[in-house]
Amino acid sequence: MKKIKILLFTVFSLLLCTNMVGQEKSISGTVTSKTDGAVLPGVSVVVKNSARGTETDFDGKYSIKASVGDVLTFSFVGMKSSSVTITSNSSTVNVALEDGDNILDEVVVTALGISREKKSLGYSVANLKGEAVSLAKESNVVNSLAGKVAGVVITQSASGPAGGTRVVIRGNNSITGNNQPLYVVDGVPVDNSGIGSANGSNTSEYSRSDLGTGISDINSDDIESISILKGPNAAALYGSRASNGVVLITTKKGNTGRGLGISLSSNVSMQSPLLLPKYQNQYGRGVDGAFAADLSQLKSAGSWGPKFDGSQQLYYTGENRAYSAQPNNVKNFFRTGSSVVNTIAISKSTENSSLRFSYSNSKMEGMLPNSSVKRNNFNVRASSKITDKFTLDTKVTYFLQGAKNRASQGTEGVMAYLYGLGRNVDVNDLKNYQDLTQGYGVISSTASGGNPYWILNQDKNEDFRKRLTGFAKAQYDFNDNFKAFVRVGTDVVDHQTENVTATGHHFTPEGAVGYSTFDTSETNYDFLLMYNKNINDDFNLTANFGGNALHSTSKYSSIRGFDFKIPGKHFIANTDPEKLRVSQSELVEKKVNSVYGSASLAYKGMAYLDITGRNDWSSALAAKNRSYFYKSASLSLLLNKVFNIESEKINFTKLRLSYANVGNDTGPHQIVNLFNVASNGYLGNVTVSSPNVKFSESLRPEDVTSTEVGFEIKAFQNRLFADFTYYSINSKDLIFNVPVDPATGFTHFRDNVGEITNKGFELMIGGTPIKTDDFDWSISANIAGNKNKLVSLIEGQDFFQFTSNNSGTIDVRAQVGEGFGDIYGTDWKRTDNGQLLLTASGRPQATSERVKLGNYQPDFTGGISNTLNYKNLSLNFLVDFRIGGQVYSGTDSALDAGGVSTRSLEHRDGITLDGVWDDNGTLTPNTTSITGQQYWGAVSGIASEYVFDQTNVRLREVSLSYKFSSKTLSKTFIKNASLSLTGRNLFFIYKKSENFDPESSYSTSNFAQGVLYYNLPTSSSIGLNLNVKF
Amino acid sequence: MKTIKTIIYSASLFLAISCTGDFDEINTKQQGFESGELSAKFFITETQFNLYAPSRYAYWRAHLIHSDRFAGHVTFGHDKSWWNDGLSYSFNGGYTDAAWGWYSGYFGNVKKFLDLTKTGGEFDNQNMYATGLIIKSLYYQMYTDTFGMIPFSEAGVAGNLTPKYDDQKDIYIGIIADLDEAMALIGSDTKTGDGVNDLSDNDLYCGGDLQKWKKLANTLKLRIAMRALGATGESFATAAINEAIASPLLDNGTGSVTMEKDVKIGQWGSAAYGDVWTSFGAGSDWTMGATLINTLQNSSDPRLASYASPAPGGEFTFDSDGATADYQEQLDFIIANLDNANAVYTKTISGTVTTVTVPANQYIGQPTRLNGLIKPMVKYDMFSKPSDLVIQATGKGAPVYSEIILTSAEAYFLQAEAAVRGMGSGNAQSLFESGIKEAMKLWDVSSGDADTYVASQAAANITTGTLEEKLEKIATQRWLASYTDGFEAWAVVRDYGYPSELAAGVSNPKIFELGTLNGNYPQRMRYGSGAQSNPNYAQAVSAQGADVQGTKLWYAKN
Repeated sequence: MKKIKILLFTVFSLLLCTNMVGQEKSISGTVTSKTDGAVLPGVSVVVKNSARGTETDFDGKYSIKASVGDVLTFSFVGMKSSSVTITSNSSTVNVALEDGDNILDEVVVTALGISREKKSLGYSVANLKGEAVSLAKESNVVNSLAGKVAGVVITQSASGPAGGTRVVIRGNNSITGNNQPLYVVDGVPVDNSGIGSANGSNTSEYSRSDLGTGISDINSDDIESISILKGPNAAALYGSRASNGVVLITTKKGNTGRGLGISLSSNVSMQSPLLLPKYQNQYGRGVDGAFAADLSQLKSAGSWGPKFDGSQQLYYTGENRAYSAQPNNVKNFFRTGSSVVNTIAISKSTENSSLRFSYSNSKMEGMLPNSSVKRNNFNVRASSKITDKFTLDTKVTYFLQGAKNRASQGTEGVMAYLYGLGRNVDVNDLKNYQDLTQGYGVISSTASGGNPYWILNQDKNEDFRKRLTGFAKAQYDFNDNFKAFVRVGTDVVDHQTENVTATGHHFTPEGAVGYSTFDTSETNYDFLLMYNKNINDDFNLTANFGGNALHSTSKYSSIRGFDFKIPGKHFIANTDPEKLRVSQSELVEKKVNSVYGSASLAYKGMAYLDITGRNDWSSALAAKNRSYFYKSASLSLLLNKVFNIESEKINFTKLRLSYANVGNDTGPHQIVNLFNVASNGYLGNVTVSSPNVKFSESLRPEDVTSTEVGFEIKAFQNRLFADFTYYSINSKDLIFNVPVDPATGFTHFRDNVGEITNKGFELMIGGTPIKTDDFDWSISANIAGNKNKLVSLIEGQDFFQFTSNNSGTIDVRAQVGEGFGDIYGTDWKRTDNGQLLLTASGRPQATSERVKLGNYQPDFTGGISNTLNYKNLSLNFLVDFRIGGQVYSGTDSALDAGGVSTRSLEHRDGITLDGVWDDNGTLTPNTTSITGQQYWGAVSGIASEYVFDQTNVRLREVSLSYKFSSKTLSKTFIKNASLSLTGRNLFFIYKKSENFDPESSYSTSNFAQGVLYYNLPTSSSIGLNLNVKF
Repeated sequence: MKTIKTIIYSASLFLAISCTGDFDEINTKQQGFESGELSAKFFITETQFNLYAPSRYAYWRAHLIHSDRFAGHVTFGHDKSWWNDGLSYSFNGGYTDAAWGWYSGYFGNVKKFLDLTKTGGEFDNQNMYATGLIIKSLYYQMYTDTFGMIPFSEAGVAGNLTPKYDDQKDIYIGIIADLDEAMALIGSDTKTGDGVNDLSDNDLYCGGDLQKWKKLANTLKLRIAMRALGATGESFATAAINEAIASPLLDNGTGSVTMEKDVKIGQWGSAAYGDVWTSFGAGSDWTMGATLINTLQNSSDPRLASYASPAPGGEFTFDSDGATADYQEQLDFIIANLDNANAVYTKTISGTVTTVTVPANQYIGQPTRLNGLIKPMVKYDMFSKPSDLVIQATGKGAPVYSEIILTSAEAYFLQAEAAVRGMGSGNAQSLFESGIKEAMKLWDVSSGDADTYVASQAAANITTGTLEEKLEKIATQRWLASYTDGFEAWAVVRDYGYPSELAAGVSNPKIFELGTLNGNYPQRMRYGSGAQSNPNYAQAVSAQGADVQGTKLWYAKN
């Protein structure tokens, strides 16, 4: 470690003191848009085949040092790149860029916000334009990455609009820690921790609510581009939190050119359930083929009655009703969801400054009755060139969100009272959920007592979020070779929730009300020194040195009251003061200080070597382990140049090699064990409780090492390209609450244990098969596979259990020698020679031991996207797929047991199972017949019947856009206009699971993945998008 | 260039060194205490209430679902219940894990108290340490009687992450040794110290009275030794019993050791039955077991009204139209149960409909272990519920039953058993009567009613009969006196085989849920799935027998 540090500093010192050579001169100029002549600020200007670059200022002006013979490449997102060779008499180079895409000379945003030529990078980076996520809008912008970026697994929590999403890049590396990437917006990290049980380490299946995470607050209309730095190689400069990769989001600046620019974007979309369970419509409520004897039997009965005959029969309301099917009773509960998003952006540039203001208003009405999310998003970006050398850049975003009735998922969530509805129950009857003449109690069709309309109308589930994000950055350009900036960025979130269970609720009949607030903040102070110099004709060197101080805080408080004195109004003073529960945390702080440096050496435009080093000092670790160093090195070799291959067919071949090692610390307050005083004591006596988790001062950072090899090729005038990556990630010293035998006095020890490996590949192939003046078709396909293995855990301990279900039939674990997310469950009980071992009464049985039934991580993911352009018309469609990976569906099990699923039609009339039973040691062939109800009652407890393959292919995204031609618009005050018809999640092309979207989840945390209990259906959305620029 | 270098070096130095000054401070939780800032007595309270009245999750899943139901005191499986009463007689992994999690997880509470009070500990106090040993013994008796072999000798040994499982016999010997040590440490002391060193009110069991602690310890020793008596390979029980009965035990002077419930703390701090009854859905409600109600009723036991409230009664209809083939047998069973309870009722049959009218104010228990097929016919209002005192909602200002830690009644019953077995010099009948009277005191039965009962009821008379008949009566009284203390009641049934109606298990699959026990009486609970990661688990299973509920524990064999 020390050696590397010394080496690094030496490199810097050398670099700074060497007399530089080379025939350099200053080149300057202005970059404009060919379409409208407007100046373009923020255009990347790089010296080709070097690591040197700059950006145009607000007037589209730039200045850079280059030598004669160098090629300057100008690139800008959404425009075709342009290259100019420097001649001996060129000192001013003005460029006009055309609209369009470019593939070859791609410039991407890399760590620390530095724009680089993609070909110079020794690791893989994926980038997307803002349009890719803002056109077919998702309320959580990261959902739009699905299928577009190889090696990224997106799991959307099925919780309605603006919910959370689990994003895992190149597999899971930590068992109980965070496995999701770091999100960085304009250089400032955004706190992505979610609030709500779906994001925590809660493992119960009852009720999970997801209130979204930091990234779901980003307005997609403000996004200029997204870069995904996969794995620690690309992210070694961002510190611990980047060990799972980084998603870099660059937002729009005022860049419409001189004068005033106004743009309007309006998006309207409609949502409906993509998939609901398949129901039978032949049998209604009853018991073993007979009608229920009385109301109490009826209420606990599934749909196991006789065949529908229309006769008048007892109904759950106590009346008699026609005994007939209600085929759409589940579907009719949902309404068409709608989403209206309007954004206005106004920008104004003057000679030395630019300003962009945007306001976005979203109103999303969920598919569940009485559920909605409303958002207001204000964004101001201002940059000013104070002197020739000194620039100030600032941004403030204020985000307001109010959500109502975000559905809780799970066996006590809202869907639990809908999906299993008796097949002859009209869902509209449930709208009568309370009869005050009969008391406050909920009216339910079942003995369990719940009613979904009650939950959505009588109870209350609201949350409000205010988020202020911003930064101020001051840059000073000492000269063309040396620049520096200081920046402070902050992200402050205030989150409040309000929950009511009304008097008469089926679980808390006396009612309850709770309020809570969570305040979090994260502030980053950083500086960066950037140096660039041509050492000689062959070598170019870029070096950066920076420091960062991170300060994050969180604070929590809640109050809960129980037992309403006077039912009907829900506030604390109306509850029993004896039962009041108050909790409040101190201000929890964490600080991480870092210094880092990077050096990039470019040789003749054919070889690029990058090395980085970073040292962190984290307050979350004890003094002796507080400081830790990590490093990376990467190499990019342009083989065709190295071997001097000139080919008409092959335009470009590149080999990438990289290595990185990153540390990963832990949360605050995890080192010193303290005793807690109970707020209420016992009979007035002070009571103190002892911790169950034993902390350790010797906790070290987790250690993630990644190596990556990649190969890229472009051929036929860049009409065909392919990019292949193989990576291997090894995570050691996982920080982990190791479950120990409670006889040690603790239930868990916090320790560094175990090792996880992730190995995988990413392949992207694409091209432009057809290209004419009027028509072109481009296609891009990607596939990625990841193999995860838990190599070791701790002596004597061979698995860690994430979650197990209430009835104990299933658990999800990390198993030594196998993977993260293995699903273990019960199977059919069989004799040694494979016959079914039945009970004496002829019923199938589940094994008491759980066996491995699958793993929730998919084997392969990917997508195929197509873009067809004909004149002003453009059609995009994305088909994405997931191959392998399993999920256990508790919903399917319950629907079979309740006799409502189509599957429960099997053996309706009874069956004598082919098997044996144990007659006091003698295996006797079964002759006893059981009813369908008995059969499915038993089968529903056999977990292996409910583990489904996640393999599916779906039409993820379609958009048809028309861009009004400048000719048409030339006589109007409109500069630009486009209209798009979009669709998301339109249909499955293929899937293996019958009743649910196999990619949905009811949690975004490591806990409770791989199991589904009464999730909300995924929404399928169709929308219209209008963009106008004035 | 120099300037730049200076900037770089000073910046890194600044960040790296001067800014880490407050790191230890911000990484230390302010809302917590180090032991030096506290007193030992603060630690005993939670250690005590967590053992008998933990939060609702454990109270519900470990206590009510398993012990109280296995004891036959209470049942599920009526038509309003979420479950049929076969629940947990068929192995249920989720509820088993919950119970195991509570039992095994409790150890940390008592270990911490022992560590703090032991010689050389932060609060070095041998008398407090002694009370800790007695709490540990109460805990281990409950814990081993539920699961059998568990880690004992290596539990809490620093550095040992995988303690071995000890034989139940060795655990019993160990508990007795701990109790002996505790009693020796207490000697003739009366309190643990002065001021903050006096446990006083923080001690929920004995109010800081060390001599009561000592009697509690001795009574527990007697219970443990009596339970071990006659088990395979034991050679310590007789001596321990003789030692115990020669020393002071809980009696009518000390009264029982009980723990007053805090009705304000809330169900997630410390639960009561009323929290489940009133704050959970109605489907969680339970009824009184027929064996308990019939036993009380058949001997005109004055505790009946304290234990249970009468059945609401009403008109109940049963319809054979469209019903299953077992309808008639099931109906006959329901009606036979009314007869067994000596209930007054009328039955009319009209076509396919049978109407049974049961007048209010009768005590009728519900047979236990009923299956899902008969469940709709098991009408909730036909059966007695627990008394208001037992299911009283907390936080309403109304009194709630106290938790039983160890009763003076138990001390007398154990001495009575010693006497009928010819050990010591006590008078079995008078000890037995004292036990019954002490047990009745717990439920505020008047002394006149108690006197009438012991004077008139055969159940209170062990002057005649065979040894086995006398043991049955003693066991039955212990089982009755353990109402709301299902752990002990269940252990009594397994140890003595009484009430025999429960111990016999069930056999008719048309009425009862035979479950994974095939109808046999549950002899233990299975270990939780978390236990299996200790490599010694396998060794325990091979020594003790299969990890199933039917495997008899050491003390219950023979």
